[in-house]
Amino acid sequence: MSERNYHVMLDTLPEAGSRPEVLFRQAGDGFVQVEYGSIPRFNLVDSFRVLAVNAAVKAKKVKGLYETVPGLRTNLYHFDPEVLSSKKLIAEIRDCERQIAGVEEIEFQSRLITLPIAFTDSETQKAVAKYVKEVRPDAPNVINGYNIEYSALCNGVTVAEIKRMICGTEWYNSGNGFWPGGGFFWPLDPQCAIVVPKYNPPRTWTPEGTVGIGGPCLYIYPTPTGGGYQLFGRTIPIFQFSQKHELFKESPTFFKAGDRIRFHETTEEEVLEIHRLVHEEAKYTYDIKYGKFKVKDWLTFYNSAPVQKGMKDLLTKQEAGVKAAPKV
Amino acid sequence: MLKVINGGVETVVEDWPGRIGYLDNGMAASGAFDNVALGFSNLLVGNPVNEAGIEIAGGYFEAGFDTDSVIAVTGTHMKPTLNGQLIPLWESIAVKKGDVIKFGHFGEFGFRSYMSVAGGIDVPVYLGSKSTCIFGSYGGYQGRKLQAGDVLKFGKPSKPLKGIKKRKVKKECIPPYEREWRMRAVPGPNAYPDYMTQEGMDYLYEHAHKIQHSSNRSAYRLEAAQINLFARKDGGIAGSHPSNVLDHAYAIPGALNICGDTPILLIADGPTLGGYLCALSVIYADLWKIGQGTPVRDFIKFECCTPEEAVEARRQQRSLLTEESLA
Repeated sequence: MSERNYHVMLDTLPEAGSRPEVLFRQAGDGFVQVEYGSIPRFNLVDSFRVLAVNAAVKAKKVKGLYETVPGLRTNLYHFDPEVLSSKKLIAEIRDCERQIAGVEEIEFQSRLITLPIAFTDSETQKAVAKYVKEVRPDAPNVINGYNIEYSALCNGVTVAEIKRMICGTEWYNSGNGFWPGGGFFWPLDPQCAIVVPKYNPPRTWTPEGTVGIGGPCLYIYPTPTGGGYQLFGRTIPIFQFSQKHELFKESPTFFKAGDRIRFHETTEEEVLEIHRLVHEEAKYTYDIKYGKFKVKDWLTFYNSAPVQKGMKDLLTKQEAGVKAAPKV
Repeated sequence: MLKVINGGVETVVEDWPGRIGYLDNGMAASGAFDNVALGFSNLLVGNPVNEAGIEIAGGYFEAGFDTDSVIAVTGTHMKPTLNGQLIPLWESIAVKKGDVIKFGHFGEFGFRSYMSVAGGIDVPVYLGSKSTCIFGSYGGYQGRKLQAGDVLKFGKPSKPLKGIKKRKVKKECIPPYEREWRMRAVPGPNAYPDYMTQEGMDYLYEHAHKIQHSSNRSAYRLEAAQINLFARKDGGIAGSHPSNVLDHAYAIPGALNICGDTPILLIADGPTLGGYLCALSVIYADLWKIGQGTPVRDFIKFECCTPEEAVEARRQQRSLLTEESLA
């Protein structure tokens, strides 16, 4: 028998109504992780709850709390343990958990950002060509020099339908990560939930503003970097080191957890012109609408008969698509 | 001013604790690997302990001084010379305009050397820190490691140079360097019984893990585990491997990520979020040891401790990094 204490559960709150069980885990020296449910699930309502509680705790301005890092079903609290004990911090979080009872009542600040996208543009084509040349010449996810036909194949739909799905839903950001300023975006309309495998092995280069999808998650590459998501096209800058443009004055990053984005199709020329305006002239005005996200409204939409039917139809197509598409 | 003649293997400008408060933007704190060595080199030259200095990994850094100053070198013994003459470590030294400092390779113990100059290294403060994030190409000196031809400016010394030369760190205050680096670590967030077996946790705490050659400022990779560590058969909805979890934030620096069967310490420039479980975390007061571990040669061994002991260790480290430790 080991004498070491591996017990990391500092506290729990039982399941209550639509609130899942809340687990408070020791996550390091000066870190506590809050997790929803002992059996992991993929459900956006957990993320909505993470953000609602996150905002409530942050509003308390707890002394000694440095920062929080929301994930899909967890939140990481980073604090100075010489100023704030984990016990005191957990008491503050428990207090907020109790105040936010049902998921239906959750509302949070959420910007709706509209972004232009140029599908299959020449820059992201270069990234795919580089991958084929330098990393994997026989990559099955590259058809006619790009990933969009392969992605259509995986989902049992046409390329036109893939484009319609990307532009047909709002994409919700559960929190930033992986690379500075990048958000993890999930489709709010399940009828547009494209699912694709990731690159194997990953790319060494992806251009700034590339729109990619891996699994069910959409990601916009803030700066040139490697990566493993299938490529669809390119959008406008979401990151600026120099902070010249007024959008980036306070932070070089644009996205916040809880933001929603929506795409509309445009030409590559327009996307390139906006890159020039933002980075060289600091002039472009981004399309941002400020508002609240009401979970109740979303649940009504999600559970409505036509949406449920559309979702099931897509799942049927995807089952056939997965069988037909070559494996990466 | 300091003119770089040879950038060496990997030489970067770093302060401590780096860029705090941007994890939710996907930005790690960066910062010095070894805050104790940097803290002492700063103290010796009269700087605040967290001021930016030069972190030299591996060795072969060479540079010429364009001004009279006082410097101090700490960390691993790279047999540094000033105009060809060996200089002592853990001691402040006066330098004159035209002097050339040259480092050999990493010493018998440790992997990183630190050099502070009176007044600190004057690079722009970016999001609250002078630290370089190599992985993201920002902060420090133009967001990259130093190379021949770079010119580093110094800040204003806090005290007259005369009064700060020839100061030493007391012998008993110099941290011990080893080949097997023992560091205290608290379990969690994914430990026994839900994610790891008790045998798996015992293995992590009892085995001396060899540091792999692919280690860098984002991650210190350890040798793959030789036994099954996991309590689960697979990662459920998160993936086929039992080390997979739905993406969660990583407690960096110091979290031990289990990627497949490979334990990886996530550090300075590391990823902020990802889909692998974290079994334990190195405590704040022992983080300095990670980057002194020499890849391929050295080992890391974790010692289980409580969060209360970790807090006490922070206090002890803070009292160590004061003028009291100087002679």
